[in-house]
Amino acid sequence: MNVKKKFKGLSDKAVGWLFIGPTVLLLLAINIYPLVYAIKMSFTNFYANKIGREPQFVGLKNYIKVLNKEAIWEKMQVTASFMFWTLLLQAIIGLGLALLLNRKFKGNELLTTLIVLPMMLSPAVVGVFWTYLYNPQVGLFNYVVNFFYDLGSFDMIGSSTLAPWAIVIVDTWMWTPFTMLICLAGLRSVPNYLYEAAEVDRASKWQQFIYITLPSVLPFLLLALLFRGIENFKMFDMVVELTSGGPGSATELASINLKREAFEKWKTGYSSAFAVILFVTIFGFGNVYVKVMNKIKER
Amino acid sequence: MDTSRSYLEPSSFSKKMAAAIIIVYAVITLIPISWMVMTSFKNVDSAISYPPEVLFEPSLEGYVNLFTNRSRQSQEYLDSLPPPENWYEELVRSREMVITGPSKFLGRYSNSMIIGFGSTFASVFLGALAAYAFSRFRVPLKDDLLFFILSTRMFPPIAVAVPIFIMYRKLGLGDTHLGMIILYTVVNLSLAVWLLKGFMDEIPKEYEEAAMIDGYSRLQAFFKVVLPQAMTGIAATAIFCMIFSWNEYAFAVLLTQFNAQTAPPFIPTIIGEGGLDWPAIGAGTTLFLLPVMIFTIILRKHLLRGITFGAVRK
Repeated sequence: MNVKKKFKGLSDKAVGWLFIGPTVLLLLAINIYPLVYAIKMSFTNFYANKIGREPQFVGLKNYIKVLNKEAIWEKMQVTASFMFWTLLLQAIIGLGLALLLNRKFKGNELLTTLIVLPMMLSPAVVGVFWTYLYNPQVGLFNYVVNFFYDLGSFDMIGSSTLAPWAIVIVDTWMWTPFTMLICLAGLRSVPNYLYEAAEVDRASKWQQFIYITLPSVLPFLLLALLFRGIENFKMFDMVVELTSGGPGSATELASINLKREAFEKWKTGYSSAFAVILFVTIFGFGNVYVKVMNKIKER
Repeated sequence: MDTSRSYLEPSSFSKKMAAAIIIVYAVITLIPISWMVMTSFKNVDSAISYPPEVLFEPSLEGYVNLFTNRSRQSQEYLDSLPPPENWYEELVRSREMVITGPSKFLGRYSNSMIIGFGSTFASVFLGALAAYAFSRFRVPLKDDLLFFILSTRMFPPIAVAVPIFIMYRKLGLGDTHLGMIILYTVVNLSLAVWLLKGFMDEIPKEYEEAAMIDGYSRLQAFFKVVLPQAMTGIAATAIFCMIFSWNEYAFAVLLTQFNAQTAPPFIPTIIGEGGLDWPAIGAGTTLFLLPVMIFTIILRKHLLRGITFGAVRK
């Protein structure tokens, strides 16, 4: 320590605060303050479009309203099934692709980059473009499906049974590369000597896969699913532009409903309560998931 | 030795099979993107023909429609006009329309540029400072602070959008470039700090210590020795921040309308006569996605590393 004090200029402590300060202040101002503000509003009957009116404290009324509303549970179900199918498909396809890519064939790196392209694109713009691919009269998607299996005319976005699949397909197309990349990182982190030792012991290829590959890649896969889960719980942009929650409310995810309550009906107090409930849900599930994940890792 | 059983050295047959499946997947996954680019070069009629046209006569109608506003006119009126001055006017005239002025696309696109570059610069700069401090100094409650920074990323944007909307209205930041730059900077900061901390940890402390023994102050050592060393990490982080700001939609659609609106909320609103103008939307989409695709391909090594790096560390 004494040696360092001899250096000229500000002390390390001062530099430390100078460097971290702006980041913490900005996060407090633009992230934490709005969150606290939202929590405060969730206990009032505030309407953001009625500026003059003084909001009144209403206690837990907003929360009770949200939890008793049947429509909210429907949105939660829509969100849950969207998450279930996207995560399942992305886990299977992503892991499969990673296993194949790990065979280090020629052109491997270029192909990885090409496969990754969809996840770099703007979800909202992707959503708009898929409405064209799904168009029942002229869409390429419908044409290709009918080419292989004649379904006749069908409308992916206009039908309430097909629309949930329409958003699952687009999300899977976009985000499978993410699971793939993380799994690939996992596969590459497995030390070679494990396989060498297994081969010395004459373990079959299948045994090597079950006892070495799978356990090593599992924590990575679970981590990728955690990130995708959080993102898809918040999913807004792609779905808004693709189906805008419809038809009816067949694809109205929780955050789309939240946006309607907050920015179309301007029920600020009510929507803040809903936002807090969503936030607590995601945090709760996230924490439990991380704990389970760590247990699996320890084994 | 029986090589087919080895994981480390797959047989050439299994390599070929793997390559074949991956190529098929890559082709399928690229179809939507290629289709979008192709549509941008179709004319309005061929974009809505069925079965979809794979071979078509290329046209720049989509790009002309994207950049101009037009209005339909009667044949007599068109005949009374002087002959068209350039090719795009001719193209529009052939559709019995006249150009009434430039569209908003260019403005929206440059808003995306300004806000994207502004926020990327700010979040990488602030992120690098914080990352350095976390990497080198004993910061009280270091782990808690780092987790706090990370946790801000979990908030659903809509949950904080109303308070930010009200706050921005009070501060006069609503629908301004500065407001959006600040907002995107903050959203990107957590990622920037985490990614950059990883890169800074890899730079040996001895470098700046040697510089400080030579008479540099801590600040000078940071700017002249550490930052140049961290350039790779800074570039990777910058790409991530840029892609996020470029693609962001929820805040843009809720907080901006006229002045600072970026391209993602604008592209869906491109409407032609009797429905959406698909070639124009295709053109807008192509121009919007092109920079990201080029970036991704050129800088693939940094990017792929960044994605997995961030995940593996957390």
